[in-house]
Amino acid sequence: MIDIYILPILFILIFVYCLFKKINTYDTFVKGAKGAIKLVVEIFPYIATILIATTLLRVSGITTFLTQILSPIFTALGIPPELVELVLLRPFTGSGSYGILENIFKVYGADSYISRCACVIMGCSETIFYVATVYISQTKVKKLLYAIPVALVCSLVGTIVACLLCKIM
Amino acid sequence: MLLSMLVLLILNPSELLSEMLSASTDALELCIELCAIYAVWLGFMELVDASGLGEKLARLLRPLIKKIFKVEDKTTQKLIAMNISANMLGLGNASTPMGIRAMQALDDGSGKANFAMIMLIVVNATSIQLLPTTVIGLRTAAGSTSASNIILPTLISTFVTTFLGIVLVKLISKVRRKR
Repeated sequence: MIDIYILPILFILIFVYCLFKKINTYDTFVKGAKGAIKLVVEIFPYIATILIATTLLRVSGITTFLTQILSPIFTALGIPPELVELVLLRPFTGSGSYGILENIFKVYGADSYISRCACVIMGCSETIFYVATVYISQTKVKKLLYAIPVALVCSLVGTIVACLLCKIM
Repeated sequence: MLLSMLVLLILNPSELLSEMLSASTDALELCIELCAIYAVWLGFMELVDASGLGEKLARLLRPLIKKIFKVEDKTTQKLIAMNISANMLGLGNASTPMGIRAMQALDDGSGKANFAMIMLIVVNATSIQLLPTTVIGLRTAAGSTSASNIILPTLISTFVTTFLGIVLVKLISKVRRKR
């Protein structure tokens, strides 16, 4: 349980270092924190849109439908069919996929093979569409070209590797 | 989005608007949370920057960033260095503001994403964190007896995804340039 100390120590170190360098910590911190509201106001519309689109996909049952179609393909790739929903929703929603993860813990037990796979999948993937939307929101970029396909392919490969590693480790 | 709207229209028309509104409310709640998180981390990052640690970090990662992103500008290199180090520590929410600023600095106004921008998105979208703290926390809470035995497989697979991502972006950009 070292990890609970990492962040507090990191913060204390920075403050001590700043004192040592004779920097006005109060003014500097305020200066940085000022940017938060402006940033959030600017990215809100993008976050709202991507969340609405994801919710509609889920509520309309399209994801359930896709889950059924893709199950055999996933099984062929070595990914347990129980994880299809997680793998499909992971690129879209962070909070949503954590919800699915907790559900998997509940149904299969936290120490089961399925749960371990799910954990590793969560660790090696990201909310690709969310990241891409938020990152380009403040630029003039309209075309991301091949960024999303590459990220999706990598995540799929990562998922396959994750399931394989959990089997042998 | 339109497809899911049409399906909903047939299956459950009364839910369409209420679901959209509740998703939008979720987004607002998320943004309020993010605002609080960003305030802490942007303040923190300002300290890192002012104390000269940001510069040191950038100098440390500069060879790597130069090689991967092909970026020469010092400020942009620093932003990318901070974005990547926050990511490695598993501070996804702290890395986002740095990433957004780095993207702004990389933007050439052409409306198309350039090589470095695509690389930054792919590196961020393939996750490079060293300690999956949130997942371990959730797993412990769910009653796991050995919550940390996912660390090693996670490290290996996250390395595989990020490495593959970098290689693929390099390859594709080379092929495109030849054409």
